[in-house]
Amino acid sequence: MNYIFQYGVVWDNFGALMEGAWLTFQLGVFAFGGGILIGLVCASIKTYGPFPLRLLVDGYVVFITNTPALIQIYFLYFGLPELGVRWSNEACVLIGLVLNAGAYLTMILRAGFLSVRQNEIEAGLTLGFSIVQQIRYIIVPHIAKAVYPALANFFVVVMVMGTSVGALIGVDELTGQAINLSSINYRWLEYFSVVAAIYVVLTFVASIGLALIGRWVFRVQVKIF
Amino acid sequence: MERIIEQIPRFFTADNMALLLQSAGLTLAMTLAGCLIGFCLALVLVYLRQTPGKWATPLRIICITYVEIFRRIPFLVVIYLVLFFIQTVASNASLFSIAVISICIYAIAYTAEIIRGGLESVPATQMDAAKAMNFSRLRTLLTITLPQAWPIIIPPAIAFAVSFIKDTALVSQIGVFELTFRGKELNNQGYSGILVFGTIAMCYFLMSFPLSMLGQYLEKRLATPRSQRTSRKIWRT
Repeated sequence: MNYIFQYGVVWDNFGALMEGAWLTFQLGVFAFGGGILIGLVCASIKTYGPFPLRLLVDGYVVFITNTPALIQIYFLYFGLPELGVRWSNEACVLIGLVLNAGAYLTMILRAGFLSVRQNEIEAGLTLGFSIVQQIRYIIVPHIAKAVYPALANFFVVVMVMGTSVGALIGVDELTGQAINLSSINYRWLEYFSVVAAIYVVLTFVASIGLALIGRWVFRVQVKIF
Repeated sequence: MERIIEQIPRFFTADNMALLLQSAGLTLAMTLAGCLIGFCLALVLVYLRQTPGKWATPLRIICITYVEIFRRIPFLVVIYLVLFFIQTVASNASLFSIAVISICIYAIAYTAEIIRGGLESVPATQMDAAKAMNFSRLRTLLTITLPQAWPIIIPPAIAFAVSFIKDTALVSQIGVFELTFRGKELNNQGYSGILVFGTIAMCYFLMSFPLSMLGQYLEKRLATPRSQRTSRKIWRT
């Protein structure tokens, strides 16, 4: 192999890559936040809701989890303009990711909802807790503790796997920046190895941060390695 | 909207459907080949990672670093890295083989963790017994640990393979003629995006849904009694 690595050209454009990394982080956070909202609503419907609504949520979850995120985003990007709905690239990716994350988070949160036992509620009733107190002192801490490690892992998944799909419809997040920059001077290997390293650092910082938060707030051990 | 309805008979022709079926086959072939090879290599990786002794520390560190790095890089970046690396080494490698290699690289990292979890669920006393009977490490793995670990390994491994049917959509970016690539091609030919990508999504759904059902069924069948306990709804009035 007689390919000569020239990293100089990458360091010249490092600022642009960092902007991409920042956009990746933002997209990840917003997609995850929106996904949590959808997930909470859908998981409560699936656990306590009436039958037709439950069926609807089931359909949503099954359809989203069994089709690629890329196709969903292509659908929003290429399909919706035909119906007269026109969104920017970033909006398409964000909405696609929120819908996608919402489906997975529904499943994760539902598992958490189901992990609360009747006995615990009864114990609360014995102590004379009101409904609000039951939610505040028993249900929320229990669910948070059960679900937090999965959520922390899923945040990393959304931030890495999810947002990189956006590069394919022209969002300048980390992967998109790498594609843009390297198609100017064809130093593909250099750009993509540096970008891979940035991704590793980014997710490492994110998962360590989330693990520490989990340790302080919810007293759970989140696996970093 | 009228445009879509007007296009339906033109879109669902035998030619287009044959094309889609062919590319769906390619998607499945890529997933199957990549995941099977990846699974076997992941077994080797786990075996190497569990080598006891001080001299094997660098080996263990290499294995852990590999898993940790590739679980944190988007699949798209892995595809590009493999593509450009292989094209500088062997410029006439086929795109299909490049896709399979990148799937393998990725599958190793993920299935290694699944396999390790399965192996660690086997009680340590079993390994002590094997040691007492003077079994070698390989023989212990093949005849004692693995047979007991299969029920734990198989369901998540199938779930992973299913997720890979979907992730291969990204391979379209390097020009392998699989479903997503066909979809973009048809879209460029002037067919409506809603129609094309709706059909493609249905194709993926038809491939992945039966498999994920199988995974869920196996999970119920093979699960250990501990995880099988029924969970009750809260707030039952």
